[in-house]
Amino acid sequence: MALKQISSNKCFGGLQKVFEHDSVELKCKMKFAIYLPPKAETAKCPALYWLSGLTCTEQNFISKSGYHQAASEHGLVVVAPDTSPRGCNIKGEDESWDFGTGAGFYVDATEEPWKTNYRMYSYVTQELPQLINASFPVDPQRMSVFGHSMGGHGALICALKNPGKYKSVSAFAPVCNPVLCNWGKKAFSGYLGSDQSKWKAYDATHLVKSYPGSQLDILIDQGKDDEFLSDGQLLPDNLIAACTEKKIPVVFRLQEGYDHSYYFIATFIADHIRHHAKYLNA
Amino acid sequence: MEEEAGEKPGLDWSAAPKDFQFYHMDLYDSEDRVQLFPEEHTRMRREVVQAEMTKEPRAAAKGRAQRDLQEEVDELAHLYRLEDDHELGDEFVGENTLRTGVSDYPPYVMKSRESAREQRDWRFGGEAAEAEDLSFGGWGSRGQCQDLREAYRYTRGRSSEEYECYVIPEEEDEEEAPDIFCVTCKTPIRACEKVLDEHKEHEVTPLDKALENAKDEIHKNMFKLEKQIIEMENFASHLEEVFITVEENFGRQEQNFESHYNEILEILAQKYEEKIQALGEKKKEKLEALYGQLVRCGENLETCKELMETIEEMCHEEKVDFIKNAVIMADRLGKFLKTKTDVELSAHPDFEDQTLDFSDVEQLMDSINTIPAPSAPVINPQAPNSATGSSVRVCWSLYSDDTVESYQLSYRPVRDGSPREDQAEFTMTVKETYCSVTNLVPNTQYEFWVTAQNRAGTSPASECAVYMTAPSPPILKIKEIRSCEEAALICWESGNLNPVDSYTVELTQAETPEASGVTESVVGIPTCESLVQLQPRQSYTIYVRALNLGGLSARSKPATVHTTGSYFHLNKDTCHPWLTISEDGFTIVRSERKTPAREQLPSYTRFTRCVAVMGNLIPVRGHHYWEVEVDECLDYTVGVAFEDVPKQEDLGANCHSWCMRHTFASSRHKYEFLHNKMTPDIRVTVAPKKIGVLLDYENSKLSFFNVDISQHLYTFTCQLHQFVHPCFSLGKPGCLKIHNGISMPEHMAFY
Repeated sequence: MALKQISSNKCFGGLQKVFEHDSVELKCKMKFAIYLPPKAETAKCPALYWLSGLTCTEQNFISKSGYHQAASEHGLVVVAPDTSPRGCNIKGEDESWDFGTGAGFYVDATEEPWKTNYRMYSYVTQELPQLINASFPVDPQRMSVFGHSMGGHGALICALKNPGKYKSVSAFAPVCNPVLCNWGKKAFSGYLGSDQSKWKAYDATHLVKSYPGSQLDILIDQGKDDEFLSDGQLLPDNLIAACTEKKIPVVFRLQEGYDHSYYFIATFIADHIRHHAKYLNA
Repeated sequence: MEEEAGEKPGLDWSAAPKDFQFYHMDLYDSEDRVQLFPEEHTRMRREVVQAEMTKEPRAAAKGRAQRDLQEEVDELAHLYRLEDDHELGDEFVGENTLRTGVSDYPPYVMKSRESAREQRDWRFGGEAAEAEDLSFGGWGSRGQCQDLREAYRYTRGRSSEEYECYVIPEEEDEEEAPDIFCVTCKTPIRACEKVLDEHKEHEVTPLDKALENAKDEIHKNMFKLEKQIIEMENFASHLEEVFITVEENFGRQEQNFESHYNEILEILAQKYEEKIQALGEKKKEKLEALYGQLVRCGENLETCKELMETIEEMCHEEKVDFIKNAVIMADRLGKFLKTKTDVELSAHPDFEDQTLDFSDVEQLMDSINTIPAPSAPVINPQAPNSATGSSVRVCWSLYSDDTVESYQLSYRPVRDGSPREDQAEFTMTVKETYCSVTNLVPNTQYEFWVTAQNRAGTSPASECAVYMTAPSPPILKIKEIRSCEEAALICWESGNLNPVDSYTVELTQAETPEASGVTESVVGIPTCESLVQLQPRQSYTIYVRALNLGGLSARSKPATVHTTGSYFHLNKDTCHPWLTISEDGFTIVRSERKTPAREQLPSYTRFTRCVAVMGNLIPVRGHHYWEVEVDECLDYTVGVAFEDVPKQEDLGANCHSWCMRHTFASSRHKYEFLHNKMTPDIRVTVAPKKIGVLLDYENSKLSFFNVDISQHLYTFTCQLHQFVHPCFSLGKPGCLKIHNGISMPEHMAFY
């Protein structure tokens, strides 16, 4: 569990760092980014996990979203892991941008050849939090999760599969119903096999239907001009309908004119940080 | 021992000023105190020591103990410089200078001296008998001692207190060598003596304990004494005042008598002169009359004699001649006899009864004890804040030379437009130079004038002075009071027909553990409304008073203000005719029945198209929070709007309003956050049953929440260049319930 610091930069009074470590779950070296707010120098802070979208590394979020100021003000440690195992030399892992490297989809793969390394669900919900809790001044009782696109899907399933583990969840343009979209079908069939009933265990819309009703406040922002929205990859309406039926609180904001990019994320990142701070700092 | 203490009250009373000066420091420092005692006093002390020693023979080891004691006493005396007369002399210089300060009152001082001497004489007689019993008053049998002390106090008055006080230090002086205290002998002894001799069988206590008991006793008595000193000081200064007053009064009376007696003597002298002159004139007149009569009488007599002679001569004449002459004579005689001879006394010799009229003198004599009729008193202008709603306190003064038995105070109300003579006039008789006139009408002017009277008569009337009664208390409009966490807007009715000068708002924090109970006042409020700054999350009791020249009115009936959350009322003037507001003022109902869809006339204040009503929020640019309870299926709009929002437009359809609108159609909830007809596209999965509205002027934010699940719904960023008010609209029949006075939930601080 040795941590190797790759970089450290002062930002809004705190430190934006990148570490590398040998992951047990993923059996490869993994990098993650962590922002330590000024408050972390004197007290244990809540941890907020950011799950990135397809093709991203730990770098995209920390360099493009502009979340630091809000995190600094609210005193949140923000952890941004990579999106998949890397350098595992699995055949086909680099063949397409929406599967394999950079497209772990936050599932524990059950199919060969992926099942040894592609255990991103366990990595982000178990191994990484334990590592963070052990290595940094964070309060293990207070954690939340959010993400973008595939990471939005990851954030939603992490929260919905572990009632009470995360204080709050939010997402930017999440893949809400992967079993019904092309990205999801491709990834799930690859990682989980052809039995679609297994897929539902990693599908937010399906998870909502069996969610036991622990208090969870979900904030979702969606750009109205998002090409993947019109492409049918995200399917937020399905999630909203399920949440409405199950009375799971969601505020879904369809933002006029915004697309799927980090410009969109940067516009509303402060709202999301505040949303989490409200529950993490309560 | 107690001789010294007893000496204290026995001190020459002429030293009283000195005592007054030094008392306080003396009380707690017996050593310094002793230095102030006159020489005589140290002599007294030595006598006592001897008296003490006379008891010693009872002791077996008397010789040695006696010597020891004598040495100690001498040593102590030397230590305290009791023998040092030079120093005492110095002290007395100060005393003498002080005494000259009061030498203006020689009789007073002399008298004091006398009484003091008496007291001391008495003490000399009694002390010998008491000395032995009382020498250890603080020790041994307390009950017995107490009795003795009571008796002593009874016979000697206050001085016994001082005695109790000063007895102790002397005891202490003697206790340097001994280390335990023999209760039986009531004497401090050395521990070694306990084993030997006569103390063998005796009860002893540690000296410290005995000392402590004695000190307690001393402190108690010192406290009493201190109180007594203060009383005596007060009494003495009071006596001085009385003394001066008596002197002045009698001096004035003497002058008075003198001038009166002189006046009477003058009058008497004048009367004497008048009488003497009158008598002289009368005498002269009478004498002149008598003299005239006498002269005329003599003349008559001569005429008679002449006639007689003539007749006699005629008788000697011849017949012819006689006859001739006789006829003439007879005529002449007849004529003469016809003239009346006045023999009445023209003036009576007796003295006419001259009754002396002393009535005026008597009157003067009578009036010698009174004074001339007083001159007109001077009536004072009204003192500020001296009036109540129904009374004024009128004051006046007299000329110092006047003696007045009573005053007649008259008044009548001053009313514009009617001549003063028409107003009823009231009069009352008072002895003092002031009068509280009651049963008056509030906030009304009255003119007062006063005359002074004594036995000699009544003075002219003073000038008229106009006094004003305080106003009636204002009436708080409890239903219109609005508040927020930082302030409250209080409004009231004047309660007076005539205008008043200003109003005062008084606020007291209600009984909370940390409340200080202090009443704060906001004064000089010109209108019937005031915005008062308050502390958050407290309860206040608020009163209003009205003020005019006469003073402050009584308090209005109280109102209670809670500074938890914001508190507003619905403005019924804005209420659309289809809406009704419940009795408690916080439920808005749009009833089922179809009111004829009559087009309302455009109005500036009343909503005519949008079925809405507006609240009256306190105009404070802080945080305001309220909640609205809604039916999930109801069509409603809640938000804020400027007061001048166009009333014929829907809420949110213009730049003057910001609101959340819910519509429910074909089992779908639609939530819009409308401003200027625009809304973001927001979907909410759980329909709120209670909406929290947070208005934050400082950050120009208006936020909506689902209260039950603490869910943030939307935040407007709005430029609130003027104050906004809550507004509520119902699109379908149903009702909204407003919850006021709720503190903002903590999580909302994030928005």
